[in-house]
Amino acid sequence: MALYNRRQAALYRFALHMSGSAAVAEDITQEVFLTVLREGCGYDAGRGTLSGYLFGIARKLMLRHAERERSDVALELDADDGGLPQLAVSNDPLIDLTRREGIENLRRAVQALPRRYREVVVLCDLEEVDYADAAVALGCPIGTVRSRLHRARGLLLEKLSHERSPRHAGNVLKPARCLT
Amino acid sequence: MNCQEFWDRMPELGGEVDDHHLRECAACAARMERQGELQAGLRAMAESDRRAGAPARVESRLRAAFRGEMGMDAGRPVRSGWRLVLPWAAAAAAVVVLAVVMVRARQPETTATPSARGTDMAMVVSTGDAAGDYEGFIPLPNAGKLADTEDVNLVRVEVPRSAMIALGLEVSPERASEMVEADVMIGPDGLARAVRFLDADTL
Repeated sequence: MALYNRRQAALYRFALHMSGSAAVAEDITQEVFLTVLREGCGYDAGRGTLSGYLFGIARKLMLRHAERERSDVALELDADDGGLPQLAVSNDPLIDLTRREGIENLRRAVQALPRRYREVVVLCDLEEVDYADAAVALGCPIGTVRSRLHRARGLLLEKLSHERSPRHAGNVLKPARCLT
Repeated sequence: MNCQEFWDRMPELGGEVDDHHLRECAACAARMERQGELQAGLRAMAESDRRAGAPARVESRLRAAFRGEMGMDAGRPVRSGWRLVLPWAAAAAAVVVLAVVMVRARQPETTATPSARGTDMAMVVSTGDAAGDYEGFIPLPNAGKLADTEDVNLVRVEVPRSAMIALGLEVSPERASEMVEADVMIGPDGLARAVRFLDADTL
């Protein structure tokens, strides 16, 4: 249980950010440790740190859950503008993302990232997992982690810039339907 | 260096920020500034979520599963209806027991000082009390000991920070009335056995 006490919070937050659901995050956290318990902890230190190993289990469980439920909350950036509530907090959401409203804007933007980008942002930027551990967790090379993180940050900037200029995001004039 | 080359050399890609290009290109400088704000925002978001964690019931369920795997399950079937009621009843019992503990600790005939009580309890933990096997838990005074085979339940409650005083922890007077979250360990008889304060380090 010492392992649980040390690791549960980060795993829970990872699952929460990935699923957007506290109930799912709770189940995933529990299932990670049950998996470790049942499988006698097949952790191999030669393949990476324990942190990366546990995040990897959590990620696989998340993917399985998404397949089962068909309710992956990953929303494509192009499709999410109508789905997420607009908050007119500031003229420029990037002015102060550290304010409470700014954080909520940012949280929604992270949630709206496609899953493969959201994973690296949650792991590397929010949980401060190093690239090597993230690579173990995601089952990909470190270079892929780096490039996805770079792309993810770019997408977040674009998303937040769209909110800054709603005319470009949601109020674009659409061509009238031709009736003739 | 053109703009594309500049952005292809970001630190996350293993490169370094080229300050010379930033001085020459206003567009990249502005975007770089926004990226810095984004990074600060992500750090603030991480900080605001820092205390988030799985609820105590997850730990309870894992402990039960662990006991089952170790063959330590007492094997007492519990009817599903009771499963729903028990945690709430246990929470109520936990608050009552904590309140009793606090009142008893404030009786004038009590001779032990808070620090001495804390020492006594630390000794109980070190001598192998079952409750002491649970990291961070403080056994409640006069609470019965748990046998290794007994199943426990964890319930998260909010109690006044002053409850810590009764358990030998130091609390600054100005914060004594604040509420603090605590995990209360409930024995199979429904009585509280031990408590763990979640932010005991920020007294």
